[in-house]
Amino acid sequence: MSGPFAGFKWLALAQDWSVFAEGFLTTIIVSILGLALALALGVIFGVIGSAPSKICQLVNRCYVEFIQNTPLVIQVFFLYHGLPHLGIMLPVFSVGVLGVGFYHGAYIAEIIRAGIQAVPRGQMDAAQSQGFTFWSAMRYVIVPQAKRIVFPPMTNQAVSLIKNTSVMAMVAGGDLMYYADSWASTNLHYGPAYVVTGLLYLAICYPLAAYARRLERRMEVSL
Amino acid sequence: MKKTGLLALIVVLAFTLVTAGCGGTTQKAAAPKDAVAADIKAIKDRGVLKAGVKVDVPKFGYKDPQNGKVEGFEIDLTKAIAKKILGDETKIDVQGVTAKTRGPLLDNGEVDMVIATFTITEERKQTYNFSDPYFIDGVGLLVKKASGISNLKGLDGKKIGVAQSATSKKAVQEEADKVGAKVTFLEFGTYPEIKAALDSGRVDAFSVDTAILFGYLDDSTTILSERFSPQQYGVATKKSNTALAKLVNDTLSDMKKSGELDKLIQKWGLK
Repeated sequence: MSGPFAGFKWLALAQDWSVFAEGFLTTIIVSILGLALALALGVIFGVIGSAPSKICQLVNRCYVEFIQNTPLVIQVFFLYHGLPHLGIMLPVFSVGVLGVGFYHGAYIAEIIRAGIQAVPRGQMDAAQSQGFTFWSAMRYVIVPQAKRIVFPPMTNQAVSLIKNTSVMAMVAGGDLMYYADSWASTNLHYGPAYVVTGLLYLAICYPLAAYARRLERRMEVSL
Repeated sequence: MKKTGLLALIVVLAFTLVTAGCGGTTQKAAAPKDAVAADIKAIKDRGVLKAGVKVDVPKFGYKDPQNGKVEGFEIDLTKAIAKKILGDETKIDVQGVTAKTRGPLLDNGEVDMVIATFTITEERKQTYNFSDPYFIDGVGLLVKKASGISNLKGLDGKKIGVAQSATSKKAVQEEADKVGAKVTFLEFGTYPEIKAALDSGRVDAFSVDTAILFGYLDDSTTILSERFSPQQYGVATKKSNTALAKLVNDTLSDMKKSGELDKLIQKWGLK
């Protein structure tokens, strides 16, 4: 039998499973660190964006608009090929973490800003009338309520972030997609390689997406 | 009124089908005389030979940004094969392929053959038909002049950029093991990306078949004199298209005998 999905190609893949395992591990670690960075940036810029100060809002807009309106691929290319010309040589692993972290941080910032603005204005007025400053009202009154609203869309961002780590393949990042490309292009067994790679991404993304849906349903009940 | 329209349409359709069917049978009856294989007949019926070629490799297959034409040694070979099948060397439809896309494009029939600095290996022969080699080239190394690296041994502990789906990785690895140099490889999708990585210092050397390297040589870089494991380039066709594979091979061996192939190699300055 021949063709892209011939039996001997699947056997070859089964033999070289460790190649895919290595890439899968890198993808998972980059995803976790990238998500942590994205959350930190998202919370900081999300809160800044809903502050009354015009300068704070401007800083938020600059970050969000710049990141959201340029492709992730260009951002990663800049980190990888551009920065070395300025004397900054980041290891490719950090390029991956920073790339997806900054990119999704912008989206999470928007989600958090929307979540904060969804909390009725009266909550802030009431808190301030009780002597809370803006920032402490934010911390103790607004953010805890906003958290519930932003959780489901945030999980969707986590799913996108995991999938977007695959841009690392373009800069020899050693992630799952890179090893799939590398393996499949050497022996030309691209059929099984990409099917298995797709299933591996599905295996981590689907549970997260399902979790997001469950959260969403619970939200509808509680609101 | 609507019903009559529909009925008329059905009648017309049925008529077309019947006549088309008849046409088919007459053709089939006449076919055994020529005994043309199905894969070659498909090309003849289409009237154009579809080939996957490189568009980013100067001298082999390169799209001139000035006039948008794809030219090179491998394009000339495609023309020769088109002349053999269709009797007209201009009846070609070339499509740019990369190391990564050439396999899938053959499998799904987008191209009839791939003639794109495609190195023949035993493993690849399991998946595609390869012609006899039409060109042999060694793998070379492009480094920055400023790095002061003069041979493979000098690359000990360094990073080498190679293209995905290229055999250069294996070739350099074997040679590096021989001279006791420890090297790591970074794989990229296209040659310009490897050059960008060399410029930015992400890799210390750019390794691919030497003829391709010459296209990326500039003032700041130099090609080391060492050449590794000769790479044989062959024309690849889909495994099931055996008649086409034979025809391609016959055309190439005719060209070899008549000296036409050497002339082409000289024309493009490849020797």
